[in-house]
Amino acid sequence: MPKPLISLFSPLAAVGPTAVLILLAALSVPPVMADPSAPRTAWGHPDISGMYNVATLTPLQRPAEFGDTLFLTPEQAEVIQARERAALAAGAQPSDPNRAAPPAGGDGSGGAAGNVGGYNTFWIDRGDGAVLIDGKFRTSIVTDPANGRLPAMTPAGLQAAMARRSAFRENTGEAWWLGMDGPGPYDDPELRPLAERCLLGFGSTSGPPMLPVLYNNLKRIVQTPDHVVIVIEMNHDARVVRLHGEHAPADMRFLMGDSIGWWDGDTLVVDTTNFTRESGLFGATENLHVMERFRRLDPQTLLYSFTVNDPTVWTTPWSGEYAWPATDEQMFEYACHEGNYALGNILRGARLLEADAGQAPAKGER
Amino acid sequence: MQTLDTRPRVTAALMRKRALLTRALPKSAALGVAALTLMLALPAPAMAHHAFGAEFDPNRPLILRGPVTKVEWVNPHAWIHIEHTNEDGTTEAWMVEGGTPNTLLRAGLTRDSLKPGTFIVVDGYQSKDRSNRANGRDVTLEDGRKVFMGSSGTGAPSDGRDPRERTN
Repeated sequence: MPKPLISLFSPLAAVGPTAVLILLAALSVPPVMADPSAPRTAWGHPDISGMYNVATLTPLQRPAEFGDTLFLTPEQAEVIQARERAALAAGAQPSDPNRAAPPAGGDGSGGAAGNVGGYNTFWIDRGDGAVLIDGKFRTSIVTDPANGRLPAMTPAGLQAAMARRSAFRENTGEAWWLGMDGPGPYDDPELRPLAERCLLGFGSTSGPPMLPVLYNNLKRIVQTPDHVVIVIEMNHDARVVRLHGEHAPADMRFLMGDSIGWWDGDTLVVDTTNFTRESGLFGATENLHVMERFRRLDPQTLLYSFTVNDPTVWTTPWSGEYAWPATDEQMFEYACHEGNYALGNILRGARLLEADAGQAPAKGER
Repeated sequence: MQTLDTRPRVTAALMRKRALLTRALPKSAALGVAALTLMLALPAPAMAHHAFGAEFDPNRPLILRGPVTKVEWVNPHAWIHIEHTNEDGTTEAWMVEGGTPNTLLRAGLTRDSLKPGTFIVVDGYQSKDRSNRANGRDVTLEDGRKVFMGSSGTGAPSDGRDPRERTN
């Protein structure tokens, strides 16, 4: 089975965007422009460079209560923001210093926190505002379909999603996977999710499309006449968009796809294909095709919009958009492999649970 | 289908710790703590670098008390090292998994913000690999205040990213 090709981006990431840019700045392309008053680079392209913090409380998919309504009233936005601020304030409250251990059998937390909880809220930074575009708060990032929800999955997409779900069960601290047909989810490090293996950040933070996540939501855009580089805080990945380039041959595959771009008036359009079998986006396949548009709304804000098409997984394309506010915050390196003790803990733990069940496979047996 | 041993696997040392604390805590206080913990658990990560459920064992709850010996300020998760004292006076070195340090760095906090020797209290669950590692479900100072809270900027709601707070 072919291994994912990630090496194309790695040398660029290794030498750092600055060196890449110095290298690339020697080249140039005639500028295309629309609004002469919009900020320009020295070579005449629309200037969308800068550091952006894309954290937002607005969910990707619209809660059902809002139906087809794309906008929140200011009062609704205030309720959501107040609720989040209250949760943050609650998380900052002192705990009982004489507290006991959490309950045996688990604390009932769901999702990835899987019955054992996560960690204190001071580590979390998912923003505290809703997406505000043209003075209106959004109910969801997804704008098409009109209900703000991802479209129906194809039969093949559903089947794959169900197979993935079978690898996630309630955490009982037991080797539940021993009765499964085929390899269990802990049998090989390469069966673990991309994020757990430090290959990509979680939640499609690197995309495309690039979506807001729990923390580390900084994006840095650097431009040259021939390239636009988008540095993603987590996992310190650089998306290199070749302006007026052509896609790599179909047999070259990349975790973040192969991106080419062009200027449509003052909007940067980025076209990405050539994904690996597994990407960072909820079950998308190698047939994923993402179109992204970056447009400056005002000196402090970009509008980031995208259309996702993977006919293997979804019955129709879907689109979304959200604002990228500029920030003066500093991006730090995210050296994910450096301290990734979790993967070892997970795999060693699985072996011990198998041994407990009397089913420890001989070394190399599975 | 293999029949699994469903008995909770709690080490003698952990049972001793739990027994000690349960004795020390009145029932009503324990309920209050449970309610508070549940509330605090709500904003816990729905998604993270890895599923905590894959790494930690719900049948091995624990509470650790002792001085910080080291802080590993690394991605994808910071690790706080602590010297825990057992009931019999022996000590054990434990590691506690926190979140990504980048967020705290931006708030002006570093590994030096939690100095070795600082007494902390941690509740969480032990790693499934049964090494002395746990998730830092609730990491506090000796008096219950949150570690890394009380410093400026951490989790502050008004940090300028609310579009309505902007002046331009």
